[in-house]
Amino acid sequence: MKNIGKIVATEKMPTTVDDFYFWTDKERIIKPFDVVKVDHVSNSVTFGVVEEISHFTDSPSFLSGYISSDFGSVEHKPNTERIGMNYVKARVVGNTEGIFTPVLDGHLVSLADESDVKKALGLDEIKNPLPCGYIEMYEAPNSIRIPVHFNSHFLIGPEGAHLNISGISGLASKTSYAMFLLKAIQNQYLNSDNDKESVAFVILNVKGKDLVAIDEPNKNLEKQDIEIYEMLELEAKPFSNVNYFYPYNKDFPTTYALREDVNSQIKQGKAFQFKYIFEDDKDSIDLLFSNVDDPTQTMESIVNYITTEQGKFGGITNWQELLKEIQEHTKKGDTGKDKEISISSWRKFYRLFKKTIDKSSIFASRLGDGEVRLQDQIKNIKKNDVYVIDVAKLDEETQGFVFGDVMRAVYDLKLGQIEREEKDIPSKIIIFIDELNKYASKEVPKSSPILRQILDITERGRSLGIILFGAEQFRSDIHDRVKGNCASYAYGRTNAIEVSKGDYHFVPPVYKSMLTRLKQGEYIIQNPVFRSLLNIKFPKPIYKQFK
Amino acid sequence: MDKIIPFLEEQVGGTCYRSYKFCVDEREVPSVNYEESHAYTLQKDKYGETDTSLKTIKDISKTAQQIEGNKPLFRYFLDGSRRIYKIDDIELGKKIFPIIGGQIGVACCERQSPSQFKKAILEHNLVLSLPSEADKDGKNSEQFFNAITQKINNLPKLQQYNLKFSKILTYASKALDPGEKFENLGIAKIQDEMIECEKKIVSELVKKNLLNQDNYLIKDGSLQYKPMKSGDFRELSKIKSNYRCVIGLSKHFNPELSKDKSGKSNATKIAKLPLYHRTPAFMYQTDIVSTEVHFCIWYLRIRDVKYTESPFSGVVKIEKVLVTDDEIENGLSSDEIDLISANIINERSPVAYGTDTRWANHLYPIYLTEKYVKSQYISDLHFLNLF
Repeated sequence: MKNIGKIVATEKMPTTVDDFYFWTDKERIIKPFDVVKVDHVSNSVTFGVVEEISHFTDSPSFLSGYISSDFGSVEHKPNTERIGMNYVKARVVGNTEGIFTPVLDGHLVSLADESDVKKALGLDEIKNPLPCGYIEMYEAPNSIRIPVHFNSHFLIGPEGAHLNISGISGLASKTSYAMFLLKAIQNQYLNSDNDKESVAFVILNVKGKDLVAIDEPNKNLEKQDIEIYEMLELEAKPFSNVNYFYPYNKDFPTTYALREDVNSQIKQGKAFQFKYIFEDDKDSIDLLFSNVDDPTQTMESIVNYITTEQGKFGGITNWQELLKEIQEHTKKGDTGKDKEISISSWRKFYRLFKKTIDKSSIFASRLGDGEVRLQDQIKNIKKNDVYVIDVAKLDEETQGFVFGDVMRAVYDLKLGQIEREEKDIPSKIIIFIDELNKYASKEVPKSSPILRQILDITERGRSLGIILFGAEQFRSDIHDRVKGNCASYAYGRTNAIEVSKGDYHFVPPVYKSMLTRLKQGEYIIQNPVFRSLLNIKFPKPIYKQFK
Repeated sequence: MDKIIPFLEEQVGGTCYRSYKFCVDEREVPSVNYEESHAYTLQKDKYGETDTSLKTIKDISKTAQQIEGNKPLFRYFLDGSRRIYKIDDIELGKKIFPIIGGQIGVACCERQSPSQFKKAILEHNLVLSLPSEADKDGKNSEQFFNAITQKINNLPKLQQYNLKFSKILTYASKALDPGEKFENLGIAKIQDEMIECEKKIVSELVKKNLLNQDNYLIKDGSLQYKPMKSGDFRELSKIKSNYRCVIGLSKHFNPELSKDKSGKSNATKIAKLPLYHRTPAFMYQTDIVSTEVHFCIWYLRIRDVKYTESPFSGVVKIEKVLVTDDEIENGLSSDEIDLISANIINERSPVAYGTDTRWANHLYPIYLTEKYVKSQYISDLHFLNLF
């Protein structure tokens, strides 16, 4: 391949086991994340990933530049340009013979070809490959495009699990990237002969109508995108086996989805309205108070009081009766048996509870035609099923309630608390939730049952087969134990304040500023099997877009 | 016996003192300083240029402006330098002589375009300067020292680093004049060798037909080469045709030594030379070179005096060898002098301000060539440790 420069090792900037510097012509176009190779001892080749590029002249000061332009004449054109070059800092990612002594001064640096890049980044030995995007490197005519694969065992277990995606809304396309990966996973398992391994998906739609037509094709998909899907060996078809669950409302579900779309889905038998029935779902009341600061645990005591049917809470059969009973406890002079809970606490509980129950129609007395309980549905989820649960139009508390309930149902299913043949239960269930910060941020009260549920899943889910794909705007907001347990990370475009935070300390400065400029469809990913961070791209979504 | 000194002791039959080895370049440069010489004759009856009406100064700024953006006249830039080391003292026949070592670097760089500045020719030689007494027999010194050079180059240490000495130079070990030192004689020999190298490179360029009226060479420093006792280019008078398209550009000169036609010092005139103006060209000969060689010299200010630290910085001295009989008779064409001056004015930037204290007198391509030559030297420690 083409030689582009030579190693320079100086007193102040020596080459080390970790990195090296080389000069290149100032006209040479390379960019961070490009792979270069260096001839090294014993006929070996050391690979490096470009981190920083600086332009450098012999001008010792700005003043010298000013004087050189004929004492400040902007029109002046010198006969000789000032001598200058680019010097590049690269990080060592490997050596063909496993030699990690620093590369030597004066040795040739060249561009790598496709197989070199794969070798350098550890992409050539990936087992259980699962497409996660592609790399584009160098400028034409030397440009190369290489598909990148995760080792699926490090994304959805058993070696490592959970994915965290961060980035600014809109610009980062977090949902699109998560869906791209989910599609790749579904693709793999649909075409797999392996009976032991199976997968199902639970996706929560939290914004608009983003995900309420994922089994319909994207008619605006361009030829070059289809070519990319082909390169990645992915079917350019939308998701299959999809069921949609919309929150019940009297006339039309509480959703941003278009009426005709929902009706058509219902007609095709793939959409349902979900409800919460008091008798079956009262145990989940605690989830409604997830984000309420409860240092004295009075809310928790009241929930406990109700769910264990103490006092007059025993014979209640629906949400309205419950509300009425709670109201009774808010009245003065009530000298029931619950002296430990003050009236003011009951009043707070009543106020919060009433607000949610009144606002949402999903808290109902019984199920009608085409109406389901989410718990029942999830407990019966089948291999390759994709459940899209639309909570976009629900208020924040109810959204949390539904999410918490879904997680509980998945957890119960995988813990074997449901009477189902083990072989019929999908071995892995992947939950995708956007705006993870609402439920697992550092600010969420420690007592939050949803946070506890998320922690449980991220810490124990890998062995149980519950995988969390979470996305949020700012990674730094997320609870340390939640992100710490993720094996893979995808960093989309973010802002300068975010990259200045501790979460990004390990990221080299140039990559940090790249993070603030990433284009849509571009991510920096981190996975235990890659030797360094990778700057990847992925194609436009394969399913219907409403933008 | 890996190192050079014990080997030399054995070869020449002397005793070395293992004295302190150091690089002497920080010290005052000895040898013959051509610039300082008084021994030259101004041709009072001849003008240095064809325009005999020019008596005072001439404004070149308009000419410079007119040719701005055109292909520059100067394509090649030559600079030589040397680094001198005091290696040891050797006792030969009860007398003590210094052993001087040196690295000689001479490079010619070519400006192919404003952004393409490349080496055209490089000479990098390692040399030793020994007293002539080192040859006991003194009959066939050249052969004797060549043989030693060969043997030194075969020493494992030099082989290991792939280094070679090109020559052993000899300085006269006869009785010294008052105030003279053997060190200086040794150093002067190395200086002479460097100049020989410069002449060789010019000759190479001419042989390859690279120098012509559109592609001139600027040589850093004076062209006043003194005749040598040996070498292919020993007399400038014999090779002056090589210098048809070469100018010598001196960054520093002793203003007191420049005289006008009447023989009076014109130092004040040079100091007061306005920006982008030149003096008339003078013709002279110097005994140092040969009375057969006529030079045409003039001074040119390339930096405004308000930016420079002395009235003489910002002024360069330009020298050209007069080649044809017509030139010797009538002086250099004034148009050519103007063109050369205008082109030098247009070489005024970039500047080496901040990296070289002589920035006001420096031309950037020359500065780059100088940097290139110095970058080719092996480090002082490395050189000294060969001994």
